[in-house]
Amino acid sequence: MASLESKATHEIECIRRAQQGDGEAFGPLVERHQQRIFSIVFHLVRRRDEVEDLAQEIFFKAFRAIRSYNFQSSFATWLSRIAVNHCYDYLRKVRASRISYYSEMPEESARELERKVESPQPRGLDHGEKVALRDFVGRLLARAPADDRVILTLKELEDFSVEEISDLLNLKSSTVKVRLHRARKRMLEDLGRWRQEGK
Amino acid sequence: MDCQAIRDLVSDLRGGELSAEAREHLSKCAGCGGFLRDAGLVHAGFGALAEEAAPEASLGFASRVVRRLQAWEEKGARREFFETVGRRFVYATLALTLALLLSLVLPTSGPIRGVAGADFLGLQSNSQSSQPDVIGGDIGDSHDWIPARLPD
Repeated sequence: MASLESKATHEIECIRRAQQGDGEAFGPLVERHQQRIFSIVFHLVRRRDEVEDLAQEIFFKAFRAIRSYNFQSSFATWLSRIAVNHCYDYLRKVRASRISYYSEMPEESARELERKVESPQPRGLDHGEKVALRDFVGRLLARAPADDRVILTLKELEDFSVEEISDLLNLKSSTVKVRLHRARKRMLEDLGRWRQEGK
Repeated sequence: MDCQAIRDLVSDLRGGELSAEAREHLSKCAGCGGFLRDAGLVHAGFGALAEEAAPEASLGFASRVVRRLQAWEEKGARREFFETVGRRFVYATLALTLALLLSLVLPTSGPIRGVAGADFLGLQSNSQSSQPDVIGGDIGDSHDWIPARLPD
């Protein structure tokens, strides 16, 4: 408990020093939050080779904006907000991949995979099938509009609560729920279209 | 329940249970059945994706960020100084050049400009003072306000 308190005190001290332009004081803040930022960036962007560069840009942006941090939300939330916005801008720049999953995967394998995941808690997926599923949903996400991709990733992959997402995206909880529902439905409808394209 | 309502339910299902009414619809409707299978596939796919660990920050990542910040701070302060001074220098040069060009281009005398220039300099001649005001005066069609001889 005391350790947690001292960590929080140290973080506040580092933030205050960084707000006065001390770049050195920003180092411990980077170390403390880097894995969280890497995870957000990786799940949103899904390109391993880009994660570190994007994370560096995010911390750089955060340092430049640190004077605007007013301790209203936690520093982790504030930093995550910058990360999400940065990735959102990145995703809007990158054109969505239009490669057809179903045209690449043999039909028999696709049907087998569907059969296995039909149960509410799919079990018995081997490594190759998991990789195929990841690839499949990764591509489906890449086709989705940036807004849908961000909200679905935060909920389904980062496991943020609706309240946390509303705080991150500066939206009402009810708006987050509606957007999540629409994004899920749009993704499923897009999957239907995608299948038609692949046939 | 119609297909739209079923698809709304299925979109948010995420491994949950469906009502008997919904199950009955799904058993009869091939389109909604396919939609349910897709929902299961996507749900499982998200699970598989979430399991995938993000890459770790490479060794010395935080130090590299700090070095970049420090370099930016130094460069940024210098750049800000040069930008401010440079901007002022450019504005001053432009203003001076403009003043110089105006003094060269505008004649000190002439049919119209001469009047304006003289007015500007407060050097109105007798002949000019008797002329009607070019802008505000009643010129008419006679043009008799134009002097017979241009002033020197």
